[in-house]
Amino acid sequence: MSAFTKGTEGGVKSQGDLLFEAQQRQQRGFKRNVGVSWGIFFLIIIYFFSGQSFLGIKTIELNTDFIVKNIGFIALGLPQTLLVSVLAITLAMTLALLAALGRLSTIPPIYALSTFYVSLIRGTPLYLQIFFFFLALPQLGIVLTGLFAGVLALGLNYGAYMSEIFRAGLASVGKGQREAAIALGMTPIQTMRRVVLPQALRFAIPPVGNEFIAMTKDSALVSATGFVHEVMWRATRVGRAQFNNLEALIMAALFYWLMTLLLTYVQSIIEARLSKGDR
Amino acid sequence: MLPIVKISNLDKYFGRLHVLNNINLEVGEREVVCIIGRSGSGKSTLLRCINFLEDPSHGSIEVDGVRVAVGGKGKQQRQLIHDVRLKTGMVFQEFNLFPHMSVLENVIEGPVTVKGMDRKHAVELAEQHLDSVGLLFKKDEYPNRLSGGQKQRVAIARALTMEPRVMLFDEPTSALDPELIGEVLNVMKKVAKDGMTMLVVTHEMGFAREVADRVIVMADGELVEDNKPEQIFNAPKDPRTEALIVRYRTGGG
Ligand SMILES: Nc1ncnc2c1ncn2[C@@H]1O[C@H](COP(=O)(O)OP(=O)(O)OP(=O)(O)O)[C@@H](O)[C@H]1O
Ligand SMILES: [Mg+2]
Repeated sequence: MSAFTKGTEGGVKSQGDLLFEAQQRQQRGFKRNVGVSWGIFFLIIIYFFSGQSFLGIKTIELNTDFIVKNIGFIALGLPQTLLVSVLAITLAMTLALLAALGRLSTIPPIYALSTFYVSLIRGTPLYLQIFFFFLALPQLGIVLTGLFAGVLALGLNYGAYMSEIFRAGLASVGKGQREAAIALGMTPIQTMRRVVLPQALRFAIPPVGNEFIAMTKDSALVSATGFVHEVMWRATRVGRAQFNNLEALIMAALFYWLMTLLLTYVQSIIEARLSKGDR
Repeated sequence: MLPIVKISNLDKYFGRLHVLNNINLEVGEREVVCIIGRSGSGKSTLLRCINFLEDPSHGSIEVDGVRVAVGGKGKQQRQLIHDVRLKTGMVFQEFNLFPHMSVLENVIEGPVTVKGMDRKHAVELAEQHLDSVGLLFKKDEYPNRLSGGQKQRVAIARALTMEPRVMLFDEPTSALDPELIGEVLNVMKKVAKDGMTMLVVTHEMGFAREVADRVIVMADGELVEDNKPEQIFNAPKDPRTEALIVRYRTGGG
């Protein structure tokens, strides 16, 4: 950019400057129009649920009393949702890394365990896995608390999918890096810990962020078991009890959406910082 | 002269491809040996067998009295290979600096992690070597902020800070823009002058002629000529040597 502005000596603009400015104007214009359109969609939706009559068409009327009374109750699910998600993503990252490392192993049982785990989890529905931990295990005398079972199911499931991320991360570290470490005299474990993993993990941060955001929404599935009082559980509970499912679910949707927007914003900051640093 | 490196009956196969064929080579203390040869003749493989980045298929490698014979197994063999690696420093064509570490961290990584040296001592040593390659002022930079020539000089400092008995260079200037080659060669000359034993795979015939005590010519996995640079460049015995240096002779005199 500075190269272009520097080129404008004494107010005379080169053709390059003019083209560049035109392009920038166009980009700014596009962004502004997208923003305005978002606003319009938003207003339309608000109007749609406002209960107003317009040209003889009556829009949907929401029960505001119910909303005011219950919004706090549903909002209290947010910490639960985040707790489940944070614990589950932690477990998932650990499992994913182990599975990815297992795929590099030359020891057959370890390689097999890693592929077996990934294959089994990816071959069955998440919904089933969650119920397995809540409903099937107790039959064997294993009773897990709601939170624990939910975290275990989500963590195991996401771990299997995220192993691909770590696999790609490990693959992104060039052979020359390992060779340089080995030539210095590092053992395989030192090479992994000091040279390969730090680079692989940095590579994995943005996609892990995406997975975390997805997790906050998939965590709603554990509400089905009735034991974790997160956003979705609370919404369906009050919604059903008072037959105001529409209001309850709209509130829950807004909470999830806001949370996603916030997390996406945090993620973009982290990514910007990462790309500004070394490498 | 006391040999620092002694390679005996070395063979290397990649699958069915016979890449090194019964190599025997000794490098004396403080000797600078340049290895030249066509692409694919096995120069890199020979160098990489010395510190076991490649597993030799046959024969033995001895570095500063530590002898590793092919066929050894288990913990003892691993220890011997580790000892050999501590006695050799390697510089790669592609530098291979660690991008997530600053220049200083790159250089102290070996002493601290591998030798268990305390950080303060390692930093002192690292700064000394960074100074000798002229890059102490870049110690807090990250590698991606350095030029290719600077990267390679840091890589040389990183290897030297391990205080090896022999330095292996695999085409250290081949990835560099022409105007950056000189600064790296100058550092290498300095290292040679300080008495380091060096094995250098290179296409820089000028460097070989000026700095090397011996030049080895490789072709098809064999050493076809091993002589003083004057001999190699003025009176090559093997036609394959002649083919290699002909361009240099007509070009540079
Ligand atoms: N990992 C490998 N697997 C299979 N073949 C290999 C491998 N590394 C090298 N080779 C083969 O071994 C032969 C010697 O390779 P080497 O890299 O030692 O040659 P070089 O003399 O260093 O060549 P260059 O000047 O191109 O670097 C070549 O035919 C090459 O294709
Ligand atoms: Mg090579």
